[in-house]
Amino acid sequence: MIAWLLFRRFSLRHWRSTPGQNTLLVLILALGVGVFVAIRLANRAAVASFSNFSETLIGQSDWILEPASGDLPDSVLPEIRHRLGDQPVDMIPVVETTAAPPVRSGEPYYERPTYTLLGIDFIGLSNVPAARAALGRLGAAAGGDFWHTWQQPNRVWISPNVPETGTLRVLIGDQYHLLPIAGVLRSAPGSPAVPDDYLIMDLPDLQTLLHRPGRIDRIEFVAEPGLRLDERREELGRLLTEWGGNGERWLVRSPGVRRETADKMTEAFRLNLTILSLIALIVGLYLIFQALDGAVVRRRGEIAVLRSLGVEESTIRRLWLTEAALLGAVGGIAGVLLGWLGAQGAVRAIGRSVNVLYFATTVRQANLSWPEVLLGLALGIAASVIAGWWPAREASRTPPAQILTRGAAPGPRLWRNPAAGIVVVSIGAAIIRVPPITLTSGSHFPLAGYASAFAWIVGGGILCASALPYAARLIRWMGKRGPSRRVALGHLARPSGRHRLAVASLLCAVGMSAGMAILVSSFESTIRGWMARSLQADLYVYSAAARSASANDHIQAPTWKALAKEPGVAQEWLLAEYPVQIGTGAPTTLAGTNLELTEAHANLPWVEAPSGPAVFDAARNGGLCLVSESFSDRFGVHRGGEIALPTPAGVRQVRVAGVYADYGNERGIVLVQWERLVQWMHDDSATHISLFLAPHVNAVAMRHRLRSRFPGLQVLTYTELRGQILNVFRQTFTITYALEIIGVLVAVAGLALAMASILLDRRDELTSLRALGFSRAEMAWAGSAEGLALAVWAIVGGLALSLALGWLLIHVINKQSFGWTLGFQVPLGQLVGLAVAVAVAGWLVSFAVGWWGANLPADREE
Amino acid sequence: MVQTDTARAVLTATQVCKAYGPRTVLDGISLRTERGERLALTGPSGSGKTTLLNCLGGIDRADSGDISLEGRSLAGLSGAELARLRRERIGTIFQFFHLLPTLTVHENVELPLQLLRWPVQKRDPAVGSLLARVGLAERADALPTQLSGGEQQRVAIARALVHHPALLLADEPTGNLDSVNGANILSLLRELTDETGTTLVLVTHSEDAAAICHRRLHLRDGRIV
Repeated sequence: MIAWLLFRRFSLRHWRSTPGQNTLLVLILALGVGVFVAIRLANRAAVASFSNFSETLIGQSDWILEPASGDLPDSVLPEIRHRLGDQPVDMIPVVETTAAPPVRSGEPYYERPTYTLLGIDFIGLSNVPAARAALGRLGAAAGGDFWHTWQQPNRVWISPNVPETGTLRVLIGDQYHLLPIAGVLRSAPGSPAVPDDYLIMDLPDLQTLLHRPGRIDRIEFVAEPGLRLDERREELGRLLTEWGGNGERWLVRSPGVRRETADKMTEAFRLNLTILSLIALIVGLYLIFQALDGAVVRRRGEIAVLRSLGVEESTIRRLWLTEAALLGAVGGIAGVLLGWLGAQGAVRAIGRSVNVLYFATTVRQANLSWPEVLLGLALGIAASVIAGWWPAREASRTPPAQILTRGAAPGPRLWRNPAAGIVVVSIGAAIIRVPPITLTSGSHFPLAGYASAFAWIVGGGILCASALPYAARLIRWMGKRGPSRRVALGHLARPSGRHRLAVASLLCAVGMSAGMAILVSSFESTIRGWMARSLQADLYVYSAAARSASANDHIQAPTWKALAKEPGVAQEWLLAEYPVQIGTGAPTTLAGTNLELTEAHANLPWVEAPSGPAVFDAARNGGLCLVSESFSDRFGVHRGGEIALPTPAGVRQVRVAGVYADYGNERGIVLVQWERLVQWMHDDSATHISLFLAPHVNAVAMRHRLRSRFPGLQVLTYTELRGQILNVFRQTFTITYALEIIGVLVAVAGLALAMASILLDRRDELTSLRALGFSRAEMAWAGSAEGLALAVWAIVGGLALSLALGWLLIHVINKQSFGWTLGFQVPLGQLVGLAVAVAVAGWLVSFAVGWWGANLPADREE
Repeated sequence: MVQTDTARAVLTATQVCKAYGPRTVLDGISLRTERGERLALTGPSGSGKTTLLNCLGGIDRADSGDISLEGRSLAGLSGAELARLRRERIGTIFQFFHLLPTLTVHENVELPLQLLRWPVQKRDPAVGSLLARVGLAERADALPTQLSGGEQQRVAIARALVHHPALLLADEPTGNLDSVNGANILSLLRELTDETGTTLVLVTHSEDAAAICHRRLHLRDGRIV
C-alpha cells in the first residue's frame, strides 16, 4: 500500500517531469528489444517456408522415407508394399525440384522468384482416404472433374501467389517448359496455408520432364485411421528403418524431423544473427543503468527525506525495481511492435541469404505470435531490472536525514578499477581455447568464443572508463585555449560514473561494429584471393534456374556435351553436386569433378596438401577424395582419414587425400573423381561447367553466342562471376551492417542521454557559468567538447577492442562456426569512416544537449 | 547636476516588477548605486531579494521596469549581449560558493579572464596576485573539495573580482560560514571593494554583513520598505 502510494506520488510524478528523457530511454530499450524480436521473427519465417507441402494437401503424413543421397528407384515401392502385406498403410511417392520463371536481364539471381515443383502420384493419392477430398478440391480448382484434367499432360496446379497466366513458362534444369495451369491450390480445412510459390503436377509427367524416369525423391507414408493407430505408426517406423538397413538404403524420418533439417541447416547462421542482434540490447543495458543511476543521484535528497520519515530500505529498493520493470514493460511492448515492423524488412534480407546459402525460400512477411510478444516483454523487463539493480541498491542505501547536495556520483567502484578490467579481459583470454559445442546438425557453436568476446567487451569498457581521467589529464593543456574547453576538460579529468558508463557503452558499440567490419573485410579479401587463384577458366556455366548454394538444378548430359563440342571450346571441366546426409543424418555435399584438371588449373589453397599426385590421376584415384576445410572441421576428418559415403549404389568408403580452403558453405564438401560419382549416382548430369576456350577466342563474344544457343543456361565470364560472388557476399552481410548501424545509433543516443543526465546533475554549475558570463553558445560548446572528448576516447578504446574482437571472430568464432581460415585484413577506410561518423554524431548530439542545458532556468530560491 | 548623477551611477533600477505565475515577487522596485558604494538588501525569506539580485545581474529578466548598468539598459539586450555584459562588468558570489568542482583554485579564478580572451601571459600574473591578496597563493593547485568553506568563499571572491567588474553581486556570502570565517570574508569584501572601487550589492539576513555597507534597503513582499 505504502509502496503503491510512493510509486504514484514519487516515481510517476518524476516520470511526468522529464518526459523527453524517459521517451528517449523507452525508445532505446524498444530499439534493443525490437532488433532482437525482428531478427527472431524473420529467422523463423525464413525457415518456416521449408515445410512439407503434402501437409497442406492431405494433412500430416506419419513417416517420410528418403535416400541419404541422390534419389530412389521406384522399384522400392512394390518391395515395401509387398513387405507391408495387408497393413492399412498408404504410400505417396514424391519428386521435388525447383522451377524458375524466365530470367529477366539485369535481375540479381538471388532476387528472382523460384517455385518448388512437386510431382505427386495422383493415383496413389486417390487411395488415401484423407486425400480424396484434396483431389476433389484440385478438380474444383480446375473447373470440373479431377480425372478429366489429370489425363491432359503436364497440367500444373499453382499456389495463390503464382501469377495465373493460363500457361506457365518455367525453366527446369537447363530447359524451358510450358506448363498449362490446371487451377489454384487451396489447403485442406484445418491444415496449414499453402506455401508461397508452390507448383504440383502428376509424378510421371515431372519424371519425364526431369529425364528421371523411374526415380523418386521420397515416399510419404500415411497409416490409415483405425484401432491401435499410435502403435501401428510406431511399428511402421521401426519396420521401414529396419528394411532401409538403418540408413544404408534410405533414411526414415518423421515430418517434424524433416522440417527440423531446415532449422539445422541454418542453425549456425541464425544463431550468429541473433547474437549480433543483441548488440543494441547490450548497449541499451548500459544506458538504462546510466539513466536510473542518474535518477537516483538527482532524487537522493527526496529519498533521504523518505528514509527519515521511516520508509524502509526494502520499500525504496522495490520502488526503484518497479520503476525499472515498468520502463522495461513499456519498452518491451514498443520493442515488439518495432520488431514486427522491422521483421518485414529483415525477412527479405534474411530470406535472400538463406536462399543463396542454404535452400530456396520465398517468404515475404513475418507474422507475430504470442510467444514473441511475451518474449519481447520479458526481455525488456529483464534487461531493465538487471540494469536497475545497482541503482536500486544505491537508492535504498541512502542514509536517512542526510539530504545531500546534488552532484554526480562517482558510480560503481568497478568502473574506476583498472585491475578489474584486466582480470575480466584475462578471463576472456583464458577461455578462448575451450572447444566449441557441437549442435545437432553437426555444426559447432563457439560458446567459449562468444563468452571471450563478451568478457573483452566488458573488460575493455572497464579499462577504458577507468583510464578516462588519465587520458583527460594528458590533454589538459588544451584547457588553456578557451573557457569552454577548460570547463569540459576539468570534468573529464575528474569524471563521474555517468562519464565512465557513456564511454563504456560507446566503446562496446564501436568495438563490436569495427570488429565485424574487420571480419567482413578479411572475409572479402580472402575470397578475392581465393577467386584469383582458383577460378582459372574462361567461362562458367550453370543452370539459369539455380538460386541457392544447395540448388539441385542439373544440366543434362546432352546439353553439356553439346556445349563442349561448340567451336572454340578447348576443354570442359565438370562439377556435379549432390546433397547427402552422412553419419546420423548431418547434411553435407558430395561432388564429382575432373580432379586431373583441378591440379592443372585450380591453384587450390591447401590446408593439408596431398602427399602425392595419385588423387589427381583419374586412373589411380579410385578410393581417394579431397575435402573442404569446413568438412574437415565439422566431421573431424583429416588427411588420411576415411569417410563412408552413402550413394544410391551403396555405401562407398573413400580416404581423404587432402584438405583445401573453400568458402561456398559451412556444411562442407567431399570431392571425388567425376566418373566415379556418375557410376555411384547413376546420373551424368552436371551442376557447374567451366570452359577453357581455344587461344584467340573472345570470351565475351563466346558468352553471347552460348547464351543465345542455350537459353536455359547462365554463362558468365570470370569478371561477371567474380562480380556476382562479391554481390552475393555483400548482400549476405547487408543485415549485419544494418544491425551494427543500429547498435552505433543506440550508443550515440545514449551519449546524448548521458550528457543530458550530466547537465541535470550540474544545474548549480550551469547557474555559476551563466553568472560568470558564459553565453548560451559557449555553454553548448563546453558540452560538445566534453561529448566529443568522450566519443573520441571511446573510439580509441573501441578501435583497439575491435582489433582484438576481429582476431577472435576470424580465428576462433568463424573458424569454429564455419571452419573457414581467413586472412586478417583491417579495412582502414571503413574504420576511419566509422570513427569520424561516431565522433561527429557524438559532437553534434552533445552540442544539442549543451544548447538545451544552457537554457535550463536559473535556480529560484524565492 | 543630473548629468553628474548619471555619470556617477553604476546601477539604477526603476519600477522593476517580476512575477512567477500569479505570484508577484518584485513589485515596483527602484534603486540606484554609485561607484564604490556598498548596498545591502535585507528582508525576510520570500521577500524577493535573490530574484532582485538575479534581475540586477541579468541572469533573470524583469517583467517590466528598467535596469541599467553604467547607463546601459538591460531590457533591450539579447541573451548573448547580457552574457557579454556579465562577463565584462559583473562579478557574482553565491552562498554555496558554486566553484567548478573539477577545476583547481587557479583555474576557477582564471576562467573569467579566459572568457575575456586575455592572453595567458597576462592571466597568470593577474590570478597569482589576486590569490595572494586573498591568502590562497599556496593553494592554487588544490581542488575546491580540498578547501574549507571560508577558503572556498575567498576563491569565489577572487573569481568575482579578477576581471575588475563595475558591479559585484553577493548572495548571502556568509550564510554558509561560521562566525569567524564570516567576519573574515566580510572584511575581505570591504577591503577589496574599497581598493578597486567596485560597487557591491549584497543580499543578506545578517546584521554583521549589512553593517559593512554604506546603505541598506529592506524588502518585504517584493517592495522596498
